[in-house]
Amino acid sequence: MSAVLHAHPESGPSLGVDGPDRARRVLSEAGMRGRWWRFALILAITALVLVPIMVTVILALTPGPNSTAIGLTLENITGVFSRTLAATWLQNSLVTTLSTVAVSVAVAAPAGYVLSRGRSKAVSGYSLLLFVMQSLPIITSVVPLFILFAGMGLVDNLLGLTIIYVGSTMTVATWMMAAYFDSIPISLEEASWIDGCSVFGSFTKVVLRNSLPGVLSTAIFAFLLAWNDYLVAIVFLRSNEIFTLPVGVQSFFQQNVTDWSAVMALAVVMMLPPIIVFATLNKYFSVGGIGGSLAGR
Amino acid sequence: MSSTTAPSGLARARRGLAPGGSGGGPRKLNEGLNRKSKLSGQTSRTFFWLLLPSVVLLVLIHGYPLVYAGVQATHDGSLIDTGNFVGVDNFATVLSSPAFWKAAQFTLWFTIVGVFGSWAVGLGLALLLRTKIPAGSTFKVLLLLPWVVPIVVSSTAWNWLVATPDSLIPALFRNLGLGTPLFLADPNLAAVLVMVFKVWVSFPFMMMMTSAALASVDTTVYEAASMDGATKWQQFTQITLPMIARSTYISWILMTIFCVNDFPTIYLLNGGGPVDATTSLVVLAYRKVFQDFQTGPGVAIAFLMTLTLVVVSVFLYRQIRKSSVE
Repeated sequence: MSAVLHAHPESGPSLGVDGPDRARRVLSEAGMRGRWWRFALILAITALVLVPIMVTVILALTPGPNSTAIGLTLENITGVFSRTLAATWLQNSLVTTLSTVAVSVAVAAPAGYVLSRGRSKAVSGYSLLLFVMQSLPIITSVVPLFILFAGMGLVDNLLGLTIIYVGSTMTVATWMMAAYFDSIPISLEEASWIDGCSVFGSFTKVVLRNSLPGVLSTAIFAFLLAWNDYLVAIVFLRSNEIFTLPVGVQSFFQQNVTDWSAVMALAVVMMLPPIIVFATLNKYFSVGGIGGSLAGR
Repeated sequence: MSSTTAPSGLARARRGLAPGGSGGGPRKLNEGLNRKSKLSGQTSRTFFWLLLPSVVLLVLIHGYPLVYAGVQATHDGSLIDTGNFVGVDNFATVLSSPAFWKAAQFTLWFTIVGVFGSWAVGLGLALLLRTKIPAGSTFKVLLLLPWVVPIVVSSTAWNWLVATPDSLIPALFRNLGLGTPLFLADPNLAAVLVMVFKVWVSFPFMMMMTSAALASVDTTVYEAASMDGATKWQQFTQITLPMIARSTYISWILMTIFCVNDFPTIYLLNGGGPVDATTSLVVLAYRKVFQDFQTGPGVAIAFLMTLTLVVVSVFLYRQIRKSSVE
């Protein structure tokens, strides 16, 4: 019996499989050549696409006109930190963005859970409301909010900025969380209810604990929006020491002669955090989630 | 006690009944109505508290400003003072000004090019990256960078590349004997440049959306199609496009909203100039309020955009829901 079994794999290749095998080899050679053509194509496209980003990095590392350094140098970056308020701006940006991420997820996760599990008219109406609100231009709310916040001392204030960021990221963040919760089978919660868990308890202990990818994806989204924002910051921030990085970089252009080395040095500092976040957490992020949540609601 | 109550409420909610319970469920679920409504009452109370922070924020950041913007649009006030009620005067002023229609026209073109340009590029790259390519996943991440990098940074870099006659790209054109294009000074070239910049910023989003959709297409369909003699182009138009149609539709909708509302891409690259050639409605509203201090007309412009977008987005939302039910 074992001899028969043994004989089979040996006889197999020499008989029937030879033809297709050779054909496959020919195919794979053509396939290999195609792969390298496509590699060259995508390499060229990527290089072209990344020109503006490479220019930024190169200019940031090239010694300025008054410099004695040769080759590439970090002195533009150290210089911009010592001569300007860049360190304060960086800190402002980090504080605002990280608070936005934390609060936005904390608000969106429970709301997303209700959107995912609730099926009442009120819940689907709320979902529609979120969609409409996020599609409105932020400029409409900026002016009334400016007046409202001015009365509360929240203009030129990082707390005020954070509140607006949380509000404007919350809508899409809620959908993203809801879309993720949709993928978690309700049987998990049902099991915990039978064990005596409350609705809230099963949400935090069962659902949320299994939602790390969804939470991270939402957090990355909120991070990008808050870190990259320019419109709200330019309206609400007035004094130099309250600026976030985008407003700070722009303030360099208001001088008579633009100091490109300083601008590019700060630009590199500014694009590093989102790039680091994406490089490390890329596998968790899917914009498919944004679209999917829209389709699933 | 809660162990039985909570599940029944949620499970019913899942089956499509209101968490409140009493509203129109099949009769048999109403057996033991007293006990059940108390139980699902607990569920809807929990739902209420879970939803509350989000509702408060929505009212504060979106609802209240929208109402207040309505007030401002009908008054002749400033940033400090509400001013007098002037009815629809601001709207009349705005709608009869050529600047508004010029901006509306630019916004329309900007949106059309932004949506379909970034979609075409994103789709092409997603199809290319779906095939086997050495280091394919690295390219996938690198190609996301234009979307990830802050607009303030990328607009600065683009500016440096094209702003003056001696910048890199104009100098390159000159050396190739193509003249010296002034990308930011010539109205037509500036409009083209802003749109190209928008496509550059947005195509990674479309690439990600399309990649996610393509990943769910069953590849054995292609083998069957090629056995039946379908060409690559036929496979693309007859299989690929229909299979990702719904995701494509959603990505168009999202990108339309992103383009219409876009401020930094346009404003940071060229400030809406030269001679307002790249002024979109958002940029126009911003200028009116914060540079000309005409709060009423500025908010009226934003309000007109808002009304249009509300109508359009409710319609699109219905369409998506309809297509996801089918």
